[in-house]
Amino acid sequence: MDPLDALMKAAVDAIIIIDHAGTVKRFNPAAERMFGYTEAEITGRNVSLLMPDHHREQHDGYIQRYLQTGQAAIIGKGREEMGRRREGDLFPMALSVGRIEGEGTPYFVGIIKDLTDYQAAKAQVRQLEEQLLHADRLVILGELTAGIAHEINQPLTAIAAYADAGRKMVSQTSGAHSDELQTVCARISEQSRRAGEVVQRLRRLVRSGAVAKGRHDLNQIVTNTLLLFEYELKRTNITLEFKPMKSLDPLYVDEIQVQQILVNLVKNSLDALLESGREDGRILIDVSTRGQQVMISVTDNGPGVPEALQARLFDSFFTTKPKGVGLGLSICKNIAGAHGGNLVYRPAENGGSRFILSLPLEMIG
Amino acid sequence: MGKEHNVCIIDDDEAIREALRLLLFADGLNGVAFESAEHFLAEGTETFFDCMLLDIRMPGIDGLELFQEINRQALPYPVIFITGHGDIPLAVSAIKQGAFDFLTKPFEDGELLAKVRHAIAHYAAECEERRRLHQIQARIDACTPREKDVLRLMTRGLTNKSIAETLDISPRTVEIHRAHVMEKMEAESLPALVRMVASAEQG
Repeated sequence: MDPLDALMKAAVDAIIIIDHAGTVKRFNPAAERMFGYTEAEITGRNVSLLMPDHHREQHDGYIQRYLQTGQAAIIGKGREEMGRRREGDLFPMALSVGRIEGEGTPYFVGIIKDLTDYQAAKAQVRQLEEQLLHADRLVILGELTAGIAHEINQPLTAIAAYADAGRKMVSQTSGAHSDELQTVCARISEQSRRAGEVVQRLRRLVRSGAVAKGRHDLNQIVTNTLLLFEYELKRTNITLEFKPMKSLDPLYVDEIQVQQILVNLVKNSLDALLESGREDGRILIDVSTRGQQVMISVTDNGPGVPEALQARLFDSFFTTKPKGVGLGLSICKNIAGAHGGNLVYRPAENGGSRFILSLPLEMIG
Repeated sequence: MGKEHNVCIIDDDEAIREALRLLLFADGLNGVAFESAEHFLAEGTETFFDCMLLDIRMPGIDGLELFQEINRQALPYPVIFITGHGDIPLAVSAIKQGAFDFLTKPFEDGELLAKVRHAIAHYAAECEERRRLHQIQARIDACTPREKDVLRLMTRGLTNKSIAETLDISPRTVEIHRAHVMEKMEAESLPALVRMVASAEQG
C-alpha cells in the first residue's frame, strides 16, 4: 500500500488535500465521517463547499493572494474555524493548513479536528463557573447583610426601648412640655423601628436566593468540580487525585453549594501549595462513610495551618491571604451546617492541611 | 402597685440591657441585668425572679443553652427570648422546649411590657394554683387513714349507708368521720370537696 494512502486511512483527524485553485484532490475517511461527503463525491469540487457561506466566496481570493504576495493568513499555522457539513449545519473545528511543495503549483493540506464536543464541554464548565460565582456572590451578600442587619438592629432596639422608657417616665410627671416630650419620644421610637424595617426588607430580599436541594451523586459533584481546576493544574506541578467511593447512595444536597465548598477547599490547598513553592505538591480528595455521615476529605502536603490560627479558621473576616476577604471558610461551614453536616480542620499526618466535610447520608422526608 | 416584681435581663449588649432596665423601671418593674449566661449562672440562680428576658444570641453560652440549663436546675420562672429577625427557627425551637414567649428586635411599642406583664401574671397564677394544690394535699395528708377511706368514697358519690357497708363500719361512725373530713378539708359542701379533691388529683 502507498504510505500516503495508509496515512490518510489511519488518521483520526480529517485530512483534505487541495490544489492551488482550491479543488479537492484527496479526502480521507475521517473527513468523510466529519463532513458527510464521500471522497469520490467531493474530489474535483471546490473546498469552499465545506465552509460557511461568508467564507465560501472569499476562499479562492485567499489562496490567490497568498500565492501572489506570500502573505499567509492561515497557512503554516492553525486556527479555529467553522466547518459546514453536508446537511448544511455548521460546527467548530480546529484547522491547520500546510503547504505541500512539489513541481509546478503548490498543493495544500488541511488537517481538521471537530471541536463540537470540546466546546460543549468548555461551555458547560464556563456555565458551572458562572453559577458558582453567582452562588458565591449571593452567599457573601447574604452573609454581609445578615451581619449588618444584626449590628444595626442592636442599637435600634436600644434606641426604641430608651425612647419608650422616656415616654413612660415623662407621662408620669406633669412638668412643662410633658405632652410634647412624650410625642418626641414616640417619634424617636417610631423612626428607629422604621429603620429596623428597612434593614429587614433588605435582608429578606437577599435571602430569596434560597437553597435548592435535590438528589445528587456525590462522586459526580466532585468530578464536575475538579473540572474547574484542570486549567490551573496544567500550569503547575501540582497533582490532584480523587478517590471516589463506589456504590454511594445519592445525597440530598444543594449541588451548587456543595461544589462551592469543594472549590473553596481545593483553591485553598492550591494557594498554599503554590505559595510554599513545593515541587511535588499533591492534593487528595477522598470520600468515605462513617455511620450515617459521608466524609469528604481534602488533604494536601503543603505547610498546613499553624496551630495558633486553627481556632480562628472558620471565623468571618479572618484571613491570611493578602487579598482575602475571610469569608470563604466561614460560609463553607455555614453551608455544611445548613445541610445538617459540618466542616472541620484536622491536620494531616504529613504536616499538610486536611479539611473534612461531613454530610448526612440519608435525609428521608 | 403591690409588691415589686423582679425581671431578669440577660443580654450581651450593654445599651440594650440598660434600655430594657429603664423601660421596666418606668413601668414599675425592677430589672436586674446580667451581661452573659456565665454571669447569671455564677450570681443569679439563687435570686427570685418573676420573669426572665433572655437574648438568644450571645457569645459563650448562648440563650438556648442557658435555657436548657435553667430547665435542668428547675428554675420555675417564665422565660421570654429576645431574638433577631433571622432567629425565628431558633425562637420556635425555644418555644417547643417550653419558653414562655419571644420578642423580635426591635420590639413594637408596648410589646415588651405587655409580654412581660403577661408572663408575670401567668406565673403568679401558676404559683397561686400550685400553692392551692399544696394546701389541699396538706389537708388530705392531715386526715387519718380511716378518714381518707371515707373521703375517697364520699367523692365517688356514695351515701353514708353504702360507705358503712363498704368499710364494714356503722353508719354512725361514718357520720363522725364525715364531719371530721369536712372540717379538716375546710369544705363548705360536698360539691366543693369533690372539686378540691379532683383538682388535687389532676395537679
